[in-house]
Amino acid sequence: MILKKRKIVSSIALFICFLTACWGIFWLTFIIIDVLRHGITAINPELFLKDPAPPGEAGGGLRNAFIGHLLITVFATLIGVPVGVLGGTFLAEYGRKYNISKVISTLADIMVSVPAIIIGAFIYAIIVKPLGHFSGWAGAVALGIIMIPTVLRTTENMLSLIPWTLREAAFALGAPYYKVIIQVVYRGAATGILTGIILAIARVTGEAAPLLFTAFNNNYFSLDMSQPIASLTVTIFQYAMGPYEEWHAQAWGAALMITVFILLATITGRLLIKRRYKD
Amino acid sequence: MRKQRGKITDLVFLAITAITAFSVIAISIGIFIVLFKESLPAINKFGFAGFIFSNEWDPVKELFGAAPALIGTLITSFFSLLLAVPIALGIAIFITEIAPSFLKGIIGTAIELLAAIPSIIYGMWGLFTLAPIMSQDIEPFLQSTIGKLPLIGKLFEGTPLGVDLFTASIILSIMIIPFTASIARDSFNLTPSVLKESAYAIGATKWEVVKDVVLPYSKLGVLGGVGLSLGRALGETMAVAFVLGNLNQIPTSLFDAAATVTVKLANEFTEADKDIYLSSLYYLALLLFIMSFTILAIAKLFLLKAKRQ
Repeated sequence: MILKKRKIVSSIALFICFLTACWGIFWLTFIIIDVLRHGITAINPELFLKDPAPPGEAGGGLRNAFIGHLLITVFATLIGVPVGVLGGTFLAEYGRKYNISKVISTLADIMVSVPAIIIGAFIYAIIVKPLGHFSGWAGAVALGIIMIPTVLRTTENMLSLIPWTLREAAFALGAPYYKVIIQVVYRGAATGILTGIILAIARVTGEAAPLLFTAFNNNYFSLDMSQPIASLTVTIFQYAMGPYEEWHAQAWGAALMITVFILLATITGRLLIKRRYKD
Repeated sequence: MRKQRGKITDLVFLAITAITAFSVIAISIGIFIVLFKESLPAINKFGFAGFIFSNEWDPVKELFGAAPALIGTLITSFFSLLLAVPIALGIAIFITEIAPSFLKGIIGTAIELLAAIPSIIYGMWGLFTLAPIMSQDIEPFLQSTIGKLPLIGKLFEGTPLGVDLFTASIILSIMIIPFTASIARDSFNLTPSVLKESAYAIGATKWEVVKDVVLPYSKLGVLGGVGLSLGRALGETMAVAFVLGNLNQIPTSLFDAAATVTVKLANEFTEADKDIYLSSLYYLALLLFIMSFTILAIAKLFLLKAKRQ
């Protein structure tokens, strides 16, 4: 009798666990389908090829925001990736014996989760305020700083997976350490590092908070990184909170493009790493 | 000669990598110093207690207090954790103990994709899709059921507009599920199978094994995961900015509009025309930075301890 009761309790509890998994999947599908449903009607050539029309008027697109977003992300990557990869190299190679390396990697883990809007406020104080105006560079630096800890930690992890015997074999041939790192260790860890970079790019592509008061926004087409520049995420925020139906539709279109890009990048990254490190 | 050159290049490479690694320390300390320096005027004017306990937020009279924003941040974070943690644990149990192996990977990836969706998408979806559903169906339903209870009912008073603490907390809870779930999953997997098998051998049911063996064994890791989620929830900006209304008052019901530290920053930073206004916003940012940094650091300590176990 007691045994039967315990079995029933067990089944009920496990069924509740099953329901929680359904709860998670439910929201994921709900959000993705909703973004698809609203976004797909807003996707047309004009969205990519035209600049915004004056508020309230029909037509126009988000060419400025697409290009601006691309510029900011590319420059952020150029800042975040080299610093992250080299820093991770120090932690896993030259500095692996020092305590300070453990401190840095713990700190990096914390910095990964520090609110992005704080980084925005930080950059506002050190770049925007002294220069006196918002600029694309400030946005790129903010996103770059957000990328550094992520890339650094993945690089460190991926390099530590390379067996020491491989390095020793190269040392035995008389190679200096930097050559061992560049020609042996990096080569072995390339897929892993690349995955880290893809995931980091996917993450910063969706950031809006740090751009609000660094890159700000610009209603006109601009390639000048020293001036305020439009980005998709800030435009989504502005358009979605705005009063016009046109704006809402375009915001959904932009939201769809960003979501698709990020989900594809994330899944690609995961597949890459799965194929490389099957275990 | 060639060997000499190799040595010099090696030193240069060492120096470059060391500098980049130390940049993480420099940035962290830099953020703290800069935020502190920018908020000095507000710290001098309002003090600590005078700032965090004051309800005033009046740019015209130049009086600023953090209480509504801090309370908003604490309520949304607390309520979203309350919802997210049990669900995340359930998901982790399902993935590690119940699901057949072909489902494990799929469900694990799906839950992690929830973390990949940018917060601005959550916010927009929350504003246009979830908020109307909340105000028309779910919130009136809650009012007519739980709202009738004494005491708890007070939390569900007011006109259900959909743009309120309740909707914001639901969205936040969905966003932080993956962080707790993936760390809990990893910690569950670390439980030695000998322990579990010995429990099965004395006749424990699956749920009893999970409840009495797996959960106690991995509690440090789970606590770390919860801390990480809390850190995320405190600093979440865009998702909340859409559905909270940025109303500077201390909420009395879950169906009230409110403000959080992040929402205030996002909405008012570029509008702050006076130095003391901007400085007060920096003061808020500093408090948020200290709170989330401390919580994340504690969570990280738990995780390190769990790893060493």
